[in-house]
Amino acid sequence: MKTTKLKQLIIAATLGTQFTLPVLAADGAATDTNGTASTEISAASAGGGSPAQEAEIKALKQQVEALVQKVNALEQQAPVDQTATISDLDQKVRILQRQREIDQDAATAKAATVPKISLGANGFSFSSADTNFVLQLHSVLQFDTRTFFHDDGAKGVDGFLLRRARPILSGTVARDFEYNFTPDFGGSQVQIFDAYTIYHGAPWLQVEAGKFKPPVGLEALQADVNTSFNERSLATDLVPNRDLGVALKGDLYGGAASYTVGLFNGASDYNGTVTNTFSQNSKSVDARLFLQPWKNSGVNALRGFGFGVGGSYENDQPATSVATGLTPGYTTDGQQKFFTYNKNVYATGVHWRLSPQTYYYYGPFGLLGEYVISDQHVSNENVGGAQNVDVHNTAWEISGSWLLTGEDASYNGITPRHNFDPRLGQWGAWQIVARYADLNVDDDVFKGSAVNVNNSLASPLVSADRAQAWALGLNWYLNKNIRANVSFSHTTFGGYTGPKTGVAGQPENVLFTRVQLAF
Amino acid sequence: MKTLFNLVLLAAFALSANAKEIKLLNVSYDPTRELYVEYNAAFAKYWKAKTGDDVTVSQSHGGSGKQAQAVINGLEADVVTLALAYDIDAISQQARLLPADWQKRLPNDSTPYTSTIVFLVRKGNPKNIKDWDDVIRKDVSVVVANPKTSGGARWAYLAAYAYALEKNNHDDTAARSFITKLYKNVPVLDSGARGSTVTFAKNGIGDVLLAWENEAHLALKEFGADKFEIVTPSLSILAEPPVAVVDKNAKRHHTTEVATEYLKYLYSDEGQEIAANNFYRPRNEAIAAKYASNFTQLRLVTLESEFGSWANAQQTHFADGGVFDQIYQPQN
Repeated sequence: MKTTKLKQLIIAATLGTQFTLPVLAADGAATDTNGTASTEISAASAGGGSPAQEAEIKALKQQVEALVQKVNALEQQAPVDQTATISDLDQKVRILQRQREIDQDAATAKAATVPKISLGANGFSFSSADTNFVLQLHSVLQFDTRTFFHDDGAKGVDGFLLRRARPILSGTVARDFEYNFTPDFGGSQVQIFDAYTIYHGAPWLQVEAGKFKPPVGLEALQADVNTSFNERSLATDLVPNRDLGVALKGDLYGGAASYTVGLFNGASDYNGTVTNTFSQNSKSVDARLFLQPWKNSGVNALRGFGFGVGGSYENDQPATSVATGLTPGYTTDGQQKFFTYNKNVYATGVHWRLSPQTYYYYGPFGLLGEYVISDQHVSNENVGGAQNVDVHNTAWEISGSWLLTGEDASYNGITPRHNFDPRLGQWGAWQIVARYADLNVDDDVFKGSAVNVNNSLASPLVSADRAQAWALGLNWYLNKNIRANVSFSHTTFGGYTGPKTGVAGQPENVLFTRVQLAF
Repeated sequence: MKTLFNLVLLAAFALSANAKEIKLLNVSYDPTRELYVEYNAAFAKYWKAKTGDDVTVSQSHGGSGKQAQAVINGLEADVVTLALAYDIDAISQQARLLPADWQKRLPNDSTPYTSTIVFLVRKGNPKNIKDWDDVIRKDVSVVVANPKTSGGARWAYLAAYAYALEKNNHDDTAARSFITKLYKNVPVLDSGARGSTVTFAKNGIGDVLLAWENEAHLALKEFGADKFEIVTPSLSILAEPPVAVVDKNAKRHHTTEVATEYLKYLYSDEGQEIAANNFYRPRNEAIAAKYASNFTQLRLVTLESEFGSWANAQQTHFADGGVFDQIYQPQN
């Protein structure tokens, strides 16, 4: 339509003003159904002129015809050009789209080869693209206070304590090899707590080697950040803490049964120092079997029930140095020694432990209990001392917990339903905990002390042969990483005949607090 | 006691008589998907009849260079069936997963079939593309994959280069000018031959696809002979895709025997028929004659005659800083 009008304008412009009116009058009539301008000029407009005028009109008519032909030619040409332009544009769009797809494919392929970095509630993780190589950095910080009551200033020191300060490097190498390296900067000296690697051949067969927790005590095996109280119970005094060795372990029936059996250097009861080298020829076989028969069942009330037994057996060889293989002492909740062996007393012969153990978690309720026997042959090298005495020490504990805010209790830690955020009216998870524990040292350790304290294995003037402790506490989980808690522990002693200023001279009353960061 | 012994013996026999389930991974280049789907089924049937064992062959496809790199990086291929020998050489040299003389282990330098590069154009050949000179015309848009990642694209590049050398009395400058013009006409570079087929046939980009002969036929089959047609240039290159067992992987998987037989069976009559059916030119002359109608006769130059060796061609043209890097400018 536009080109038709264009042609009419051209014709009008060419014919001049005297022909304008007739041409415009022919508007419509001069246009065929195809929109092509007719070359016919109205006879009325051309009649009645002089020969010169007629000649001029004829010339003009020819010019108009030529112009119309040109316009027609242009009309024919224009759609082709437009089509070409549209085609070009279409190609360009398609090319851009395809290029984008190719770029996206390339980006996806590249992303699959780029190492991954993640940072979150589970710590910092750096892994290869295929996740076969992983380096994780975690940390555990525990900042405690201990306040002793009614001790006449003679017992523990009140104050602040950096209980644990552990950067933890862990991860995997070549997909199947897990590693962990955990030094501790808490306390008075730097120690390596864990340094091990685990080959994950299959869920039911893993091989662990290095320095790690031997498979005996239930509470001892619980992660430091997940224990109910600041300090483990008296029962844990009788099990090994960490040791060097190699172990086979695995989960059977989807974790309904788990086992560990290993060969270790042989560690003394819990508080003994574990060096990073060996100190004796004898070795300890430690093993544990733990069953959770309903773990994968639909019986919710029993899914969190587990029971098992851990133990160790070692045939200690006589050593030239004193106290080899013996605990440096059993400690209270306040970490004070209430029992130590006399000088020149050392382990000899067989040392075995047995620890039946159980836990039960259902909803917000948790219960954990264990009984431990640590039976050790001990000799007194002092003049008149008894030889190869079978010392049969026992301990047990039971602890319960209840999450006031309704979260699920677990051996492996608590995850609050709502993280602490006062702006949203959220206060994290709150848990009350209670515990009772009892440790009995064999009465034979004081045998002969009435004649001469050096004749006995331990002195009742220094040590108690029994400790009983109860504790209550309140734990506040601000989120998965931050926890604050307060607890009170009361310990009484038996068999002690020494001065009142001794550790066991009067009951121990301790108030603990802790702020914990586990990241 | 004797009864017990017999029972144990019977159980042992029963166990040993159990058929094995064998898994193979064939890492291949882009356009061989259909070939190996058909061939794997045939081989599994053959192997079951021969040994009683079940063999399952998994396939992995992509640009030949990329696939080789994946094997070097740890993709546990039992066999590789790639687009060109250089890529398998790279696996041998960089990862030492197979010996340097791997090509001598099977007939025809371990190339059981051949192919070449042809043109796929839109139906009616609207741009009147008949030979290599047409693909460098300014009004022609060319689709081809990236020769740095695609084996087929390297063959296509070399075919064009060989044509230019022949046409210009082996004047390398003129050939380089020719190849520059050609890649100026390439709007997008896919990483593999299958990708460039998609670009041309599905996305409707370009006027001509420089394609593997079998890929061009497949496009006709897949997208319809009413949409495209094949144009055979006056000269192209004899492409020889090789195959090899990846020794160390196969040994670790205890699949050396079956992997070797898997490749040998490509030379059997059935293997050659399957190749011909999929528009790969069979080595077996009788079968080649039988399927002669599948393949247009044209002059085929060899890589060795025009470029010496794959090592030379790679170093000169496709290595970083080589001719391709110098002449190719991505279009914005």
